[in-house]
Amino acid sequence: MSPRPRLDHVRRPELLASAAAVIRRRGLEHARVADIADEAGTSAPAVLYWFASKAELLKEALTSAEEGFYENLADELAEIDSARGRLVRIVDSAAGEGDYDAALWMELWARALRDPDLAATRAELDGRWRHTIADVVRYGQERGEFGPADPDEVAVLLASLLDGLAVQIALRDMEVTPDRVRELALRLAERELGCELLEGARC
Amino acid sequence: MNAAATDRGARERILAAAVERIARDGIDGVRIARIAMDAGVSTSLVHYHFETRDALLEQALEYSYELAGDVRLGPEGDAHNLDSVGRLAAMIDQFLPYPGILERDWILWVELWLRAVRHPDMRPTAARLYARMREWFAEAIADGIERGELRADLDPARVADRIIALSDGYGVRVLFGDMDIEHARSEMWAALRDELGLPEQAPPKLDPDGAPE
Repeated sequence: MSPRPRLDHVRRPELLASAAAVIRRRGLEHARVADIADEAGTSAPAVLYWFASKAELLKEALTSAEEGFYENLADELAEIDSARGRLVRIVDSAAGEGDYDAALWMELWARALRDPDLAATRAELDGRWRHTIADVVRYGQERGEFGPADPDEVAVLLASLLDGLAVQIALRDMEVTPDRVRELALRLAERELGCELLEGARC
Repeated sequence: MNAAATDRGARERILAAAVERIARDGIDGVRIARIAMDAGVSTSLVHYHFETRDALLEQALEYSYELAGDVRLGPEGDAHNLDSVGRLAAMIDQFLPYPGILERDWILWVELWLRAVRHPDMRPTAARLYARMREWFAEAIADGIERGELRADLDPARVADRIIALSDGYGVRVLFGDMDIEHARSEMWAALRDELGLPEQAPPKLDPDGAPE
């Protein structure tokens, strides 16, 4: 009988979190299974028991970190009653006030240029991002907070603006502060949705 | 040909090869030996001109940006007598990943994002490139205001920030095939139109000679 890896208490979610931490620190290119095992306090064979390959582990680590972001955001949005408040929360989540993870997201974007699997993952996650915004726009229109506009078009527009600004925040561009991002994004949303968002005024 | 000119030629060939290779293989996947082979020089000459991988990436990016800049600005710069609206439209077009030099420059740009997020010492390069773009747009907008062709109450720096962010956000989606480039172009125009007092439709895209396509 061949020796079986000790699985201890370490399971997939812990391993994915450990993998994300290693990718964040060393970059995907230099993330080794041994580092991930160390981070999780287990052995390399135990890591490979749960994941068929390093590539699969890394892909799932990237995906689960992003999914974690969207799940947290969805929970936070559910606790806000007004559509206006929800939209402001979305903008803040992209403006660096949240556990938004630029390093992992950049890894995904750059890899997705050359890896069809990761390209599909990126497209799926981008769809979630846009749907999150479009749902809030629809919600605001149903409540009469927002004016008429195509929710999906507004979602692409805001997602594009926020992604572009998030790049500059991630690069620590001193010109683009979270306050600047908030102002630019909310001004654009105000115009598209015919609604005051910035000054705390009512719609 | 003297030695200095040969040297310059080799350096430029290395950069041109690096741009092609990085766009194809990514900065992590690219091999220096392969760049040397493409450029027809020895690996040691690549290391002589560029001490580190980051130095090569940084200068390849600068080089790509300058090449794209020739497309961006046109060989004669502003010689096409565009009004501010036409000029702004032409500038926006040059920040979208149209097939060819611009698309390749875009791919390197995404590599720069990743590299700069991971390596803080690459961030000054990124900041410098962004500052240059921001200035370029802000100057064009300030000039348009001065000429009375754009709304007088605009803040050129803020408009420049918005244009750059939108072109990054839409451009990356075009690059991934989420949307058609013409759709991205018209959506960007629509988003800027009211604030800047621009006409309903963007002027037609110019070809590299400055004539409508």
